[in-house]
Amino acid sequence: MKYKLWQKCTAAAGVLTLLCMQGCTGGPAENEKIQVELVQYKPEAVAAFEEIEHRFNEEHQNIELTISSPNEAATVLKTRFIRGDYPDIIGIGGDMDYANFLDAEMFMDISDWEGLDAIKPVYREMDKALELIPKDGVYAVPYAANCSGILYNKEMFTEHGWEIPKTWSEFIALCEQIQSEGIQPLYAGYKDTWTCYGPWNALAVGLADPDVCEDVSAGKTTFSAEYAETAEKMKLLLQYTEPNPYAYGYNDACTAFARGQSAMYVIGSFAIAQILSANPEMNIGAFTFPANEDESDNILTSGIDLQFSVMKDCENKAAVYAVLDFLNRDDIIQIYLDNQIAVSCKNSGMEIHQQLSEMKPYLDSERVSDFHDHHYPSEMSVDAMIQTYLIDTAENSAEKFLKSFDENWIRYNRDLIRRMNERKEGAEQ
Amino acid sequence: MKKRTTNYMITLLLVLGCITVLFPLYMTIIIAFKQPAEMTNDIGGVLAFPSSWSLANFAEAIRVTDFWHSLFNSLIITVATIVLSILIHSVAGYVIGRNMMEKKSYKFLYFYIVSGMFVPFAILMMPLVKQTSEMGLDNRIGVILLYIVFYMPMNVMLYSGYLKNIPLAMEEAAEMDGASTWTAYWKVLFPMMAPMHATVAILTALGTWNDVMTPLVILSGDSGTTLPLAQLNFQTQFGTNYNLAFASYLLALIPILIFYIICQKQIINGVANGAVKG
Amino acid sequence: MKKRKSMNHKDRTFLLMILPIVAIFFLFNTLPLIRGAVYSFTNYKGYGSYDWVGIRNYIDLFTDIRVGKSYLFTFKYAVSGMILVNVISIMLALALTAKIRIKSTLRGIYFLPNILGGLIVGYIFSFIFTYIIPSIGTALNIGWMQNSILASERYAWIGVLIVGVWQAVAMNTIIYISGLQTIPAEIYEAGMIDGAGAWKTFSSLTLPMLMPFVSINLVVSTKNMLMVFDQIVSLTKGGPAQSTESISYLIYRNGMGGGQFGFQSANAVIFFIVIVAISLCQMWMTNKREEQL
Repeated sequence: MKYKLWQKCTAAAGVLTLLCMQGCTGGPAENEKIQVELVQYKPEAVAAFEEIEHRFNEEHQNIELTISSPNEAATVLKTRFIRGDYPDIIGIGGDMDYANFLDAEMFMDISDWEGLDAIKPVYREMDKALELIPKDGVYAVPYAANCSGILYNKEMFTEHGWEIPKTWSEFIALCEQIQSEGIQPLYAGYKDTWTCYGPWNALAVGLADPDVCEDVSAGKTTFSAEYAETAEKMKLLLQYTEPNPYAYGYNDACTAFARGQSAMYVIGSFAIAQILSANPEMNIGAFTFPANEDESDNILTSGIDLQFSVMKDCENKAAVYAVLDFLNRDDIIQIYLDNQIAVSCKNSGMEIHQQLSEMKPYLDSERVSDFHDHHYPSEMSVDAMIQTYLIDTAENSAEKFLKSFDENWIRYNRDLIRRMNERKEGAEQ
Repeated sequence: MKKRTTNYMITLLLVLGCITVLFPLYMTIIIAFKQPAEMTNDIGGVLAFPSSWSLANFAEAIRVTDFWHSLFNSLIITVATIVLSILIHSVAGYVIGRNMMEKKSYKFLYFYIVSGMFVPFAILMMPLVKQTSEMGLDNRIGVILLYIVFYMPMNVMLYSGYLKNIPLAMEEAAEMDGASTWTAYWKVLFPMMAPMHATVAILTALGTWNDVMTPLVILSGDSGTTLPLAQLNFQTQFGTNYNLAFASYLLALIPILIFYIICQKQIINGVANGAVKG
Repeated sequence: MKKRKSMNHKDRTFLLMILPIVAIFFLFNTLPLIRGAVYSFTNYKGYGSYDWVGIRNYIDLFTDIRVGKSYLFTFKYAVSGMILVNVISIMLALALTAKIRIKSTLRGIYFLPNILGGLIVGYIFSFIFTYIIPSIGTALNIGWMQNSILASERYAWIGVLIVGVWQAVAMNTIIYISGLQTIPAEIYEAGMIDGAGAWKTFSSLTLPMLMPFVSINLVVSTKNMLMVFDQIVSLTKGGPAQSTESISYLIYRNGMGGGQFGFQSANAVIFFIVIVAISLCQMWMTNKREEQL
């Protein structure tokens, strides 16, 4: 009898736990509102999107918008796609993930959405350039852009009377000057490999052709030819960073820069919010990376940091368009811009944040070009290759790096290159 | 000859060796209590006590990581896995252990299940993500189910090994009294395997409580996180504040630390038991 | 006649008890394994459409430098880890079974690392390696300690190894302690009468008796070390210069995050075969040794 009791208790405990879990997972579905789910990939902007979600649901009686901002969102989204569990709208960057999702025909053509006309052409063209195989139609709404260049400590610059450099030699001279005054010019934080893209993109945009990736795929040129100067200058920067940049990650770099441990930090505008979280009082400025000897050759790296795409399987187009209309209202965009210190992709002449004011002329005259890494396949891990190159002290390190860049490119893009060729042959016939 | 004297030399060395274990924990605690302004790079400052033992970091960490919710998830998953593992794996261990000596098919079954121990999660991960969602199991129930499958090889091995110590006469006696095989098992054998239940419970608990990968890929966004998963997420969002991060790590460690302090003897014995009898 | 019938009945009960369990096991272990193997013959990204590519993924695997590097790292890590863990835990187990003071407290402390999660431990050690050790190095003016070990392409793997070993020693020590306790005291007494020295006693008496436990520990620790993942995520994310990319981490990162679902499935299949081969090999070798002794 005793055993039986024990056995019963264990069984009861098991059943109870299961019941309890059922109770927790099975939520009620009482309201008849149209549900729209948006998943966006910037967890650091969760506060802004909570407010946006709240405002939307307050204004709309018949639609309920749910926005989630998961971490590791690219993986979360891919995991959901592997599951076949699609949200209605996704907010991602204008990068290779977008290109791949689009290539897999996961997005809806939204050319009939009226808000498109208000989007700056330069950003819409960037999305077009991301199409692996050119497509008809529009598949993304560019929402917010970021700029990559050099962030600097304004107080420190004023105090020492340093000038903003306009050419590469001026920049190197400035670094020397700062170093001679006993201050560290740059912070790198290369432990997180992706931060290598900060200076890399800024240099590549200034020095290499914007269509380099497509041209290499088409066999018209090689990275060895196009990226030689970028690679060389990238390595020169190491003389002005912290002594052991591979020990510190992005968070460490932001914190160190916020504490005044370096005068400048070559990174995108997205870091400003992060830096301010470590030091809310800090006075940060940003200028375009002077990669060239001639100032007029300099181009600002600016790409789409956040854009919205509608999933093909989405059931209620009208409701989704209502969400897009709402998101693209100036006052709503402003919530996001204030939270992330980003730049709007709309034409409507919205205010630019004071930290980015020195980049404004470039933005206004559309002297901008997309981040090169937006065209690199993520599994190729170009960032880790750059880090490897920087660590490599051998004489021919640049040559080795560029050679493996070329070889890996062909390897990782093999299927795409084959399709491009087939398409070309098809067109010729 | 028999009475050895206390070896103070070894005692001393072992006490010194404890530093390697306790130092990281000491650092975690003091960093968790400090404020960002107290973080310095000189050695004195690094090792010093915080200026005040304020709980503010912990309160903040509880808020931003949704601590109670992830704690609840972790508890539910771990407890359910333990209970179901004991019930299911002991049956499997019993049936296989009692039959594998005579019957080839059960011998094969034993090796089939035990060889599952060598299947790396990496190969199952991607297909499992697809499969669990097709079955509507991309939630806590799915994670529990997967744990039951993952720990089956080890536990079946433990149970069937332990069974060798229990003479067949035990259940035969019960069956003589008219009990069916099923009731004889639950009435006589299941309680006799109590020491092994403890071992299985502890080993399974340690594995599930600390596991990151399974919930990371299986739990879909809205079903929440577990405690270790919350730490992974925390890194990206609030990474610039080390003190907050360490408060959060410490919070995540506290439940299992408390459990360990209370049941230390049972845990160590349970693990040892698995090695000797298994 | 009657007896035979009851045996059949018993067999049926056994079958009814085991079948559902085997079915679940098949469904969530064997089936995904097979599906994974099937995907390894495609160029599937994880979403969208895909083509069959035959054994191209397998051919690529053997020519992919990055995959090669990850195997090299994982083996370097697992072999050194296995040796270190077992040597340290045998020593610790001997010390903890000697006649010492506060025995149970010491055992309790040494087991502690095992109950802590690998991810959190990794984050804590990451901070220690990045900030605390260098500041100790600076204070004491020791050159090699002034830089974070995790930042060195050559030595970062040792940093990961330290954390892995720190955690794994605990479990193996407990297993060795229980092994030592199974050795009857008379054997030692006999050894002492023979006047054997400490090392002689260990190598000719203790170690042979401990052999079954060595074999468990070798298999288990090698397998766990080969599957290293949590420590990589929290300590190095595979860097610097891809020098600490473990196989599991690469499969996760590029299979789930990058678009290499098919290719990494092939990698996982090979990895599975390698683990099974190594484990079988180890068991065979230790068994042979046990017989010899």
